[in-house]
Amino acid sequence: MIPPQTSLKRRLALWLIAIVAGLGTLLLIEAYTSARKAADRAMDGQLEAASLTIAESLQWPEGKPTLEMPASALQILATRWQERVFYWLQADNGLSITQNADLPITASMQVEARRQPVYLDAVYDGQPIRLSGREVDSAGWDTQEPVQLWVGHTRHGRDLLAQELFRKSATRFAAMVLITAALVAIAMHTMLAPLRRLRQALRDRRADDISPLRLGVPKEMHELVETLNRLFADQRHHRDALLRFIADASHQLKTPLAGLQSTSELALSSREPAIWHQALEAVHDSAERTSRLAGQMLSLTRLQHLGPGHERQPLALDRLMREVATDWADRQDSRDHDLGLVIDMPTPVWVEGESWALHELLNNLIDNACRYTPPGSEITLGLAHDDGDDEQVTLTLEDNGPGVDAESLGRLTQPFERGRRQDTCGSGLGLAIAESIAVRHAGQLAVSNRQPRGFRVTLTLARCRPPEESRT
Amino acid sequence: MKRCLQVMLGLALWLGLVGTGTARAAEKLIIEAALDRQIVDPVLDAFAAENPQIDLDYRDRSTLEVDRRARDRESPPDVVISSAMPWQLALSNEGMAQPLDAPEVDQWPAWAKWRNEVFGFTFEPVVMAYRLELASHMPPPETHRDLLDLLTHYRHWLDGRVVSYSPRESGVGYTLFQQDARYTPRAWDLIAAMGAANINLETTTQRMLAGLSEGRYWLGYNLLGSYAMLWAQTHPDIIVQVPNDYSLVLMRMAFVHRDAPHPAAARRFVRFLLSRRGQHILAGQTPLFSVRDDVIGPYTAQRLRDQVGDHLYPIPINATLLAFVDPLRRDAFLRRWDREIQILSE
Repeated sequence: MIPPQTSLKRRLALWLIAIVAGLGTLLLIEAYTSARKAADRAMDGQLEAASLTIAESLQWPEGKPTLEMPASALQILATRWQERVFYWLQADNGLSITQNADLPITASMQVEARRQPVYLDAVYDGQPIRLSGREVDSAGWDTQEPVQLWVGHTRHGRDLLAQELFRKSATRFAAMVLITAALVAIAMHTMLAPLRRLRQALRDRRADDISPLRLGVPKEMHELVETLNRLFADQRHHRDALLRFIADASHQLKTPLAGLQSTSELALSSREPAIWHQALEAVHDSAERTSRLAGQMLSLTRLQHLGPGHERQPLALDRLMREVATDWADRQDSRDHDLGLVIDMPTPVWVEGESWALHELLNNLIDNACRYTPPGSEITLGLAHDDGDDEQVTLTLEDNGPGVDAESLGRLTQPFERGRRQDTCGSGLGLAIAESIAVRHAGQLAVSNRQPRGFRVTLTLARCRPPEESRT
Repeated sequence: MKRCLQVMLGLALWLGLVGTGTARAAEKLIIEAALDRQIVDPVLDAFAAENPQIDLDYRDRSTLEVDRRARDRESPPDVVISSAMPWQLALSNEGMAQPLDAPEVDQWPAWAKWRNEVFGFTFEPVVMAYRLELASHMPPPETHRDLLDLLTHYRHWLDGRVVSYSPRESGVGYTLFQQDARYTPRAWDLIAAMGAANINLETTTQRMLAGLSEGRYWLGYNLLGSYAMLWAQTHPDIIVQVPNDYSLVLMRMAFVHRDAPHPAAARRFVRFLLSRRGQHILAGQTPLFSVRDDVIGPYTAQRLRDQVGDHLYPIPINATLLAFVDPLRRDAFLRRWDREIQILSE
């Protein structure tokens, strides 16, 4: 059992936290600055009101500015938060008119205030304060000096106001996060419901149940269910093939055994030694065929139940073919056929493979060709470049026999398929074995008819680099 | 003479306290106050009894002197008490006071404190006082208008016999006249009429009261009710009149100095002033009138309101006071004072 790697819920929660943390930080910074700005905007109005009230009280008797400080202006400036209040008035010639604090007002600030009323932060007496400055001018009978008028107060009220605004924003944000988290949790639960249903459905199945799943699932999960159903279908096919193979094999074994039984019964009922002898020969032939059939079946099941070919190593295909051809030339079975070998490419030709398996493959192909062609037919084993691909090599076995009727071509590689030929004593397993071996070697086995007559088996294999020791 | 005696008595008390104090006291407490020692003594004694470890150094001075001492960066006092409200508020505005964080402060009425730094802890009506014999020559004044009428119609009787605070030399006097002028411009008519009657200007209520008792003055205007009422108890020939139209109420303001050398003792003292016990002593044993509603005694703000009605106008403790200490405004006010005081004399 593979331990679960991560929890979907945890992953989603982490994502949510990351998003909330990132976004939250930005939002809170924004909320803080905008809260401060809003507080400043609101309170700057008080500065302006106080400044205007003082400006209104300015008088220029005999052209010189003077002021009777209006008490209300200072109260406006103090606000309900009882700020410390500051004022600073200076005539154009740089002489102070009146002030209650030595405010840090620079020349550049004065220049700025000359253009338009300004609001800015400053530090006085170790405390952050907010200042507003303007220049006041008025018409009069005499030439009048303009006056720089600066008022200011401490930031206590602004800080409180900003804090309040910020706290409201932060509360709203926290509520939003909580609601989102709740919604996500609910959504997660709902979204994962089909997965849970699938799990339940799979868990409730019997071990041998391979029928397709019938389950309503969302679009995103449909593919998963389809894949599962394909897997089940494959399993079903495999099992069907296996069952068919067993049935076929039983049937194939039953026929010769029935023959043996009837032959031996017939012989037993006779007193003629000649008939006994004849029967014994028939029994011997039949036993030999049956034994071969059993061998072939064993070979096929072994091939199908072996794992992938791990013992493949580079081998010279042309040399292997020559060995097989030479071997067959000496055999009784091929004495009526004209067996040829054509290697139409530079040798040696290296492929990766298992020697015994490729031997088996060639043997089966040649055996088939001998069995299903009339005596005197030509059988040619060929090796050539693949037309399209330098990395591949094509092994062919051709004969000029009757060929196979087109309908059967596709089924030829299935076990016990003889291309509607009942006239031979072949097991019907040769091509199936060849196919299995080809698959083991990652090659392709194809069958076709030749024109005008004849049959061809083509095996395409990947070439490999020659082994180190043979390269010199 | 009497004043001299008081000072000596105060000095003796002070010396006695210091003398006995140094023997056991570990902590000093310097109080710069514009508040007669003799009047506030019961409070100081109670505080000293509760805090024997504190060596109380109480310095009774004039309002402007107190202000000067509070600004002394070399040797700042611990607690500053003064009836010159604008100056006290200005000191707070300049950052000279430190905020106090205590339950007494939270309970203290909002109208009697500023920034939790300065606290008005007394409630002293500003009154008129006259000699009993004045009533035999003219109807005694009950309102500001009455006073103006007397000054107009009986000028020959009152000539040189009217006394008030000097706005130039007394912070309290300046504040009171400023506040009068703020409430009604007719205050200037009154000032002009007083000028025509050759008004005498004093710097303390005590001197005015002494002058009244000696017969030098017949009529005093803008006296501190606390002193006057105490005086009248022992001088039956002096009548104290709380004006019936409006009466200003002055509050002594106290704060702990920012650079207090003995901040713990200073805070303890101001908290004592604001505490129920401190205020109870104030209401029972001094004529300073307690501000707290929950204190019962002969001298409470509530009782005063019950007696004289709702025409008590405490000088508001807020930033408007700061305008009074603006030098330009002060100069302008004094210039106008000088003009008005002579305007009818020609």
